[in-house]
Amino acid sequence: MENRSLFKKITGSREALLTFVLLVLGIFITVLNPTFFSPVNIGQIFRNNALTMIMALGMLCVMLTAGIDISITSTLAFAGMSIGMLTKYNIVNNTFLLFLIAMVIGCFCGMLNGLIISKGKVAPIICTMGFMYIWRGMAYVVGNSQFASGEDVREFAEFGKDGTIGPYIILIVCYALFFWMLKWTKFGRKIYAVGSNAEAARISGINVDNTLISVYTMMGTLAGLAGALSVSIYASAQPNMQYGREMDVIAACVIGGVSMSGGRGSVAGTFLGALIISIIAKALPLINVPSIAQNTVKGVIILFVVIFNVITQRMVDRQNLERREM
Amino acid sequence: MAGKSGRSIKAEEKLTAKKLLFTWEGALILLFIAVNIFNMSISQSYTFANVLREMPKYLAEMFMVLPMAYILVLGDIDISVGSIVCLTGTLTCYISNAGAPFPVVILGCLGTGLLCGAFNGFITTSFPELPSMITTLGSQIIFRGIAEISLGGGGSVSYTNTKQIMPLSTKLGKTVPVIILVVMLAAVIFTVVLQRTTFGRSLYAIGSNKVSAFYAGVDVKRCRFIAYVLMGFMAGMCGLFLTAYTYGANTTTGQGFEMEVIAMCVFGGIASTGGKGTLVGGIIAGLIITLLRIALGQANVNSQMILVIVGALLIIAVLIPGIKGRFDELKKLRAAA
Repeated sequence: MENRSLFKKITGSREALLTFVLLVLGIFITVLNPTFFSPVNIGQIFRNNALTMIMALGMLCVMLTAGIDISITSTLAFAGMSIGMLTKYNIVNNTFLLFLIAMVIGCFCGMLNGLIISKGKVAPIICTMGFMYIWRGMAYVVGNSQFASGEDVREFAEFGKDGTIGPYIILIVCYALFFWMLKWTKFGRKIYAVGSNAEAARISGINVDNTLISVYTMMGTLAGLAGALSVSIYASAQPNMQYGREMDVIAACVIGGVSMSGGRGSVAGTFLGALIISIIAKALPLINVPSIAQNTVKGVIILFVVIFNVITQRMVDRQNLERREM
Repeated sequence: MAGKSGRSIKAEEKLTAKKLLFTWEGALILLFIAVNIFNMSISQSYTFANVLREMPKYLAEMFMVLPMAYILVLGDIDISVGSIVCLTGTLTCYISNAGAPFPVVILGCLGTGLLCGAFNGFITTSFPELPSMITTLGSQIIFRGIAEISLGGGGSVSYTNTKQIMPLSTKLGKTVPVIILVVMLAAVIFTVVLQRTTFGRSLYAIGSNKVSAFYAGVDVKRCRFIAYVLMGFMAGMCGLFLTAYTYGANTTTGQGFEMEVIAMCVFGGIASTGGKGTLVGGIIAGLIITLLRIALGQANVNSQMILVIVGALLIIAVLIPGIKGRFDELKKLRAAA
């Protein structure tokens, strides 16, 4: 009896399981290459994957409502290109203002997504796919076959330069904010309610449409923020930036235990999922896995984690059934 | 429809011209004509011969519209197809460069596609709890990863024996490209199977309601598996013809194809939620997008603007049923009042 409850506690908590996976991964890599576990390396992991980590928060909320948003990296590119061009031609040079503009652009993009999905009753993947093309195209149009190089965004890049704490602060603030919002605010609980059962939520007086619109707006705002951060960290703005990386964000959420059918997932899990993805990207070269094999390993780990989760879930279900039969 | 028992689920409605117009396919045919007129007005060189010459470049994707329609009708999705194209294209080049005869090259290419599809099918059917979006996301990364590994540091490979693969990109009678004939043949087969066979009807049954389809005796697992295998096979076909036109492959081959193919299907009225739409719609929608791209390209509209136009078209197309639904509701309310 004792054994079973311990087993259930561990498998029952997704976060515990992920922490375990993370520890095994960390120990494994450190044994193979002791330099991995240094403050510089850890800092690098967070800095290089700040974009994925930040957008994973928005994706968490979207997926909690049983939706998905694949337009985020296009929004990112559109917002990033816009501010890249603004600072290149010296129209706006204030770092704070540029961040704000990027977020406003992202907010607008997200709101359009939310409006069409909630009011137009369009499947989220299809709607965001359309905007994926539109915003990516707009990023090229804004750039007008120009791009902003390190020289053009020098002043702005000071914020995210290697060794500055700017990106870390944004990361921490975002995570703290979302943790608080999803756990302790009415709005956060509404998101869970809509995702678990939209009809029940509607009947109990929750405005489902407004919740959806705000969720997608938040996602867009975060994508805009990530766009500004991307320009700042990598000191360049190109229309094709982060192309295809939305899948990394979705993968991070899924590894972190966010259910695609809505209603299940947590900020802590998302953080761990994003961390696992980031560590894989950073650590594989360190342990002499050639960089060309990186994607294969990443894909295998994603499949492995989600399948492992299904199998443990089946075991738990079977145990529960057995107990009931007794 | 009424059988001997005198019962029928739904009386067969007579298909009049007016009704045809109000179906999605009818609207698409109108749009098809409109797009052609529009194309002719913006581009001087939009002639039948020119279109026939430029079309093959875009047609390879059409192969994947057909099985993708099956998968969408099932209520599933497959986002790994772009990577399968990349993998099959890469392996085709390697097999040929190793000196294999042409039939072996073709078999190797299609076989690889088939295997990739079977892998997808196996994972999705063994773990039905997982959404297919996730499983194919994993395989998307893996397939492209394998292609990246085999491509090595350089990241690209070229088809050295170009004479060998020529037959696939030639024109029959110097006018009709081979690829058009193959696409047409495949389209006919896939349409007939979807619309006129038990297998096709089971796909719709599963897409409408998986559980009731299961209790009605449909082998859900087998149907889904077959759909994924077909998808892989046709992605291999796409990879083969793409190689025939580009004489090589690199790490970005086929990137984004999955979304383009899904967009064509959805534009054609095949709902991503399953159980709705016909393949005819998907094929016409694919042609519309292809022709639009050709004409806009001829008119020197840059390819990025074309992205915006295609995206906007897609969103308008999916918004229409919702708006129509709202109007119908209003009408009903008014009639009641």
